[in-house]
Amino acid sequence: MPLVNFTAREITCKLVYYGPGRCGKTTNLQYIHGRVPEARRGRMVSLATQSDRTLFFDFLPIELGVISGFTTRFQLYTVPGQVYYNATRRLVLQGADGVVFVVDSQARRFDENVESFQNLQENLLEQGVDIRQLPLVLQYNKQDLPPDLVLSAPELDEAFNFRSVPSLPADALHGTGVFETLKALSTVVLQRLAARPPTL
Amino acid sequence: MRALEPWVEGPLRTFVAESQVRVALLMTSAGQVVAQHGFTRSLDVMTAAALGAGIVASTRELARETGAGTFGAIVHQGGKQGVFLAPFSMPDAQWIGLAVFGPDTSIGLVQLFFGRMVDDLVKTAPRTLPGREVLPETFEDDLNASLRALFGR
Amino acid sequence: MTAREQMVLDDITRVSGVKSAILVAADDGLVVAESALEGQATEAAAAFAARLAQRLAALTRTLHTPPMSVMLLQATGGQLFVAAGGEGLLLVAVTGNDVNIGEVRLALLDAAGRLN
Repeated sequence: MPLVNFTAREITCKLVYYGPGRCGKTTNLQYIHGRVPEARRGRMVSLATQSDRTLFFDFLPIELGVISGFTTRFQLYTVPGQVYYNATRRLVLQGADGVVFVVDSQARRFDENVESFQNLQENLLEQGVDIRQLPLVLQYNKQDLPPDLVLSAPELDEAFNFRSVPSLPADALHGTGVFETLKALSTVVLQRLAARPPTL
Repeated sequence: MRALEPWVEGPLRTFVAESQVRVALLMTSAGQVVAQHGFTRSLDVMTAAALGAGIVASTRELARETGAGTFGAIVHQGGKQGVFLAPFSMPDAQWIGLAVFGPDTSIGLVQLFFGRMVDDLVKTAPRTLPGREVLPETFEDDLNASLRALFGR
Repeated sequence: MTAREQMVLDDITRVSGVKSAILVAADDGLVVAESALEGQATEAAAAFAARLAQRLAALTRTLHTPPMSVMLLQATGGQLFVAAGGEGLLLVAVTGNDVNIGEVRLALLDAAGRLN
């Protein structure tokens, strides 16, 4: 659950970007980092390999501002997408208040998306979290690629969106859909918070 | 000093005063900040907490994978400053403590007073969490306005 | 801990009234080896003794006086003896108040000589 400090009037939420390798999770954070005013963001920490693959996680803290008198902050994390980093993915996922599942829209990456989505469900279940109970947003990234290379948003909804959660087409490299995705997840997480009292 | 729960402040304040650490941070095992002393910018605190929790989580996993059992603390001794990082058990959660110390103290003292702080925290922690306040009814409307303001759409 | 260190520390605790003898890393205040009666908080004694020794060393440097050989801290509940114990090490003895100070001091200096 998000941490709420009623004395200092602060809310902190942990949001995790999940998905297969090279689907654009880090690109999402880089875009957000580049566009959010400096006063509203911290340093972006990237623990990456020499070939720029995420080794442990990327981390970016941002401040949403004051909502009903509460200073609201998000901790944005990405997990490493490569299959062999599952232990690390589990660790980063721990305590997540919401997840963006970034789908690589390329048709040839379909199986990797499915595998990663199943892996998300397994890792959540291992932590006692039912994916149906967790705020989730789907981002269909790389929709800017030629139509014959990518699956459309309705096709991807058919494959991944059983729960009718918010799903957004995106081109993270150029920023399309990046903030919309974050906004969608923030809304679900914080609305849920408003609906029930938080616990530490 | 800032703390999420008022009862955390006393033990943390005593730890800082007695061990003479420069920076102290208490966080949950998921990297959420519980209390801090010595940071000037809240966003930097969050980064330190994320990295600290990541180190503890990965070290614990490494210890498990290698059959080395649980680990108590990690100490990084730099030229001018040292970093002390240790997980500990609270009645209803796993927390992590991080302290940065200079030459005006020693790892022995930090470790000693850290252990005492943990004892104090466990003793002070409320056995049942107090009834929570709820967020104001206007929260959702304000949330939408704030999201529009930050993301500009 | 080596057998020799253990033997040296055990010899200190044979002096009447000594509750614990500890070999301490001077810089970080951590216990390197110990010989103690049950229930003795050797980690706390080690951390405090190292800190005291560091402070005293800084003072002697400032005053241009020779470095300490044995430091004695007397308190209501007992006494703390600290001696240089070799390269980067301190020898610490925790005693009650009813000890022969000279005997403890000699035991520490003898131990320090054997460790060097």
